[in-house]
Amino acid sequence: MVDLRGVDLGVKIGKLELPYPTFMGSGCYGSGEEFASFVDLARIGAVVLKSVTRLPRLGNPTPRLVHTPAGMLNAIGLQNPGIDWYLEQEVAKFASRPCAIVGSVAGFSVDDYAYVSERLATRDEIDALEVNVSCPNVASEGETFACDPKLTAKVVRAVRATTDKTLIVKLSPNVTDIASIAREAEAAGADALAVINTVRGMAIDVDRWQPRLGNVTGGLSGPAIRPIAVLAVYEVARAVTIPIVGQGGIETTSDALEFFLAGASAISIGTANFTDPQIPLRIIEELAQYLRLRNLGSLAKIVGKANVGFSNPYQYEGDEG
Amino acid sequence: MATIATSAAIHHALVLDRQELAPGVVVLGFDAPALVRVTRPGQFVMAIPPSGELAATALGIYEASGNRASVMFFVVGKRTAELAALRAGDHIELTGPLGNGFTLDNVRNVAIVAGGVGIASVLLPAQALTRAGARVRLYYGARTNALLVDHDRFTSEGCELHAATDDGSMGHAGYITDLLSQTNDLPDMILACGPTPMLRVVARIAEERNIAAQLSLEETFACGVGGCWGCVVPLVRTSKQAPSFPPAQRNGSDVVYARVCKEGPVFWAHELRW
Repeated sequence: MVDLRGVDLGVKIGKLELPYPTFMGSGCYGSGEEFASFVDLARIGAVVLKSVTRLPRLGNPTPRLVHTPAGMLNAIGLQNPGIDWYLEQEVAKFASRPCAIVGSVAGFSVDDYAYVSERLATRDEIDALEVNVSCPNVASEGETFACDPKLTAKVVRAVRATTDKTLIVKLSPNVTDIASIAREAEAAGADALAVINTVRGMAIDVDRWQPRLGNVTGGLSGPAIRPIAVLAVYEVARAVTIPIVGQGGIETTSDALEFFLAGASAISIGTANFTDPQIPLRIIEELAQYLRLRNLGSLAKIVGKANVGFSNPYQYEGDEG
Repeated sequence: MATIATSAAIHHALVLDRQELAPGVVVLGFDAPALVRVTRPGQFVMAIPPSGELAATALGIYEASGNRASVMFFVVGKRTAELAALRAGDHIELTGPLGNGFTLDNVRNVAIVAGGVGIASVLLPAQALTRAGARVRLYYGARTNALLVDHDRFTSEGCELHAATDDGSMGHAGYITDLLSQTNDLPDMILACGPTPMLRVVARIAEERNIAAQLSLEETFACGVGGCWGCVVPLVRTSKQAPSFPPAQRNGSDVVYARVCKEGPVFWAHELRW
């Protein structure tokens, strides 16, 4: 049982109001049902569903996963049944989840994004939409949307025109200047930004002289990318006024705090669920504890408070230094 | 395969015993009556390495009886090394039982093929079948006789043992599949667990001899519970285990990717397209 006495961990992302600031990352958590028999979903903020596209996708050839130092590479390739089947067969099941459900939209053209968003947004089971412009693992366009400020803006404008639901745009770290892309997404109507998607990577089998992934390249996740993600959140937070859902290698409460202090209003947990599915619940508990010890009534008070030359007035006597 | 909904849970289990049956081959027994009650032959657990810094790893459930369940594994990397360092009195965190197990209904005469620590996934089906009165032959291969661990566990259950070692130190010198392919006393079902090259040969023998075969596959897992679609294998679309997806846009494809952790790990050999 999470003890939240005197501590408000609630967060508002666009129109989405959540009692806990924890999202479960897209593609890492199925539809929540896969974890429901051993994780109390009422104790997490939101599940971000696996991305859905206009047409069904077989996904990438195998192998799709490689464990690497402090993380893993994946190249799933957006395997999904396509929006028609999804609406007919899957979406109704989400109604029973005791947490918020965020649909994830992917595509290969501006029109794809608009089409899938418009259809998905009609459903009450979907509380908000994440716009996945940054999947590194699909052949053609792949990341070109998230790597180009103008294309990002086009996709976001097109999706925005289809729905009033909260739009979270997921950005790629594989860019030169993430802040400029964040600004374009905000100007085009994004309600929030998910920062970051995976970092492109590759691993090679030195016995076979072959890439370890069927797709050759993949997306790196896990603690290996955490400092990259913290910096991205820090930079994006200084470029936009909309909330940020920080993500990239969060495994502990301390990791989560780095993201909040860098400027994230909420966090998303992905790969850590593969280490231990209880991690999101533990982080909530410990966040409340951290805030209570410092007499901070709400999580919002620490968001973006990491600043150069800043002296922490809330330092707890148990803290080091 | 059996598709009864499982009641997977996270178990914080007391380690009861730890044995090293051969160099690098470890059996960890733990107190988990709730796990034992719902475990079916062929299922697995995701075990969390105690440091909390490494991804959970999938281990077949070796034994399940009374209050005690166990896992058997070969120490091959950091995760299994951490698990192998556990001792009686420590605790182990694991999620399970997971996946769909073997289908054992109406099996009267079975050949079970195990390679190396693949033996870990076949003790439970061997016990269930011998106790149901079926004839059970175990074809068990490993590099050397010391690695043919616990074969007496099977013979004491009434299984007939056929052994093979790479170095000839016990049984046939060569592959275990050599023995399977040579027999004219055909079983009505084959169950197999072991290295992928062995499973491919078992699948070919089963097809040539027209015997139904169930293969327990191993793949790199991330979540282990069906959430990430990382551990897939290509399966014919008509399989009852195929995810109920509509045809994908890749033209001419008659396969669908099924999750080893969720739809598997046990698949019908004739339905795999690997």
